[in-house]
Amino acid sequence: MSREPSKDWAGLMAAAQDGDAKAYAALLSAITPYLRAVARRAGLESDEIEDGVQDILLTVHSIRQSYDPRRPFAPWLLAVARHRLIDRLRRRGRLRLRETELTAFHETFVADETNLPEENGEIRRLKKAIADLPPGQRQAVELLRLQELSLKEAAARSGQSPSALKVALHRALRRLRILMPRS
Amino acid sequence: MRSTEELIASLTTGLQPVRRLKPPALRALGWILLATALIAVLVLLRGFRADIADCVRDPAFLIQLAGAWLTGMAATIAAFEVSLPDRARGWLLLPLPFAAFWLSGFAYGCLADWVAIPAGAPVVPDSVRCLETLVMASLPLGLVLWIMLRRARPLRPAATAWIGALAVAAFADTAHLLIHVVEASALVLVINLVPVTLILLLGGLLGRRSLAVAR
Repeated sequence: MSREPSKDWAGLMAAAQDGDAKAYAALLSAITPYLRAVARRAGLESDEIEDGVQDILLTVHSIRQSYDPRRPFAPWLLAVARHRLIDRLRRRGRLRLRETELTAFHETFVADETNLPEENGEIRRLKKAIADLPPGQRQAVELLRLQELSLKEAAARSGQSPSALKVALHRALRRLRILMPRS
Repeated sequence: MRSTEELIASLTTGLQPVRRLKPPALRALGWILLATALIAVLVLLRGFRADIADCVRDPAFLIQLAGAWLTGMAATIAAFEVSLPDRARGWLLLPLPFAAFWLSGFAYGCLADWVAIPAGAPVVPDSVRCLETLVMASLPLGLVLWIMLRRARPLRPAATAWIGALAVAAFADTAHLLIHVVEASALVLVINLVPVTLILLLGGLLGRRSLAVAR
């Protein structure tokens, strides 16, 4: 647990305000463990504590002119710490609301084929199977299924009769089913 | 990330002495004196309102004037207190009772006795002069207060800015009440309450960002 705030912190801070670097170093080193305990109690996770403490030390440094040596030092320090820690916890809360941490599941490799789904297993096999169909059947699949044309449009485009297209599509799908059994 | 020991070393090398801030009450007093002096200068330049002799016998006017002035003083003290990290947030409530008297003046003027704008009154030139007074009072006061509050690098920039803006608005309105006669109730709202609200909003919104010193 935290050490009791020392009585001479106020004296060290007053000396630091007058430019005594040694007193200032002694003060900052002395308050660091205390600040760690404060940060832990405020609910910071262990990997954030050191960041939080450094944040407080920087703030103490930038507003050190506002400390009045006639008043006790610990409440002043604690107030500074509380402001900084609350800011940090709020920021963390906001980030968590709109961000999702990456897990092993999200990790992908840099190479394209892992990120482009069409280059991926099943789809590649299906493309190859379609390409291997006889020309009439392949055309029927492309026009009616991939381009989603109506039977009439597909007939006009291919020059085949609608019934011929239907038969070709039926045979093509049966063949694809055989080539690509459901896993 | 550098270690905390390294950070401490970097903060302590070449440490310069800093000028301690004076106690907040003393700093507030300094600004209040400045604001009062500025109001006096404005009154000297523009003269008291024509009906000042009647006004000082009118309790409603006196309550409003005292309310504005005391709101300004209380808000100033509160601003300097909350600009420091270890002072209670409760200081922000200090101006509220006085602000009630100040604002009651507006409400009373409109509810008790609605005075219509007299026919042929020089509304536009009068309004321009009123706005001039409000700007001449609030601009320098706001700037000086902003500089003074910024020295404390407040950790509660928004609260400090809003209460500081209230102080500026209240002092500007004190000057306005002493200098300008605004009889018509509609004009009181348009050329007094609206600009005062604008000063408050502008000061609060600009101040809360600019007082937050990056660290």
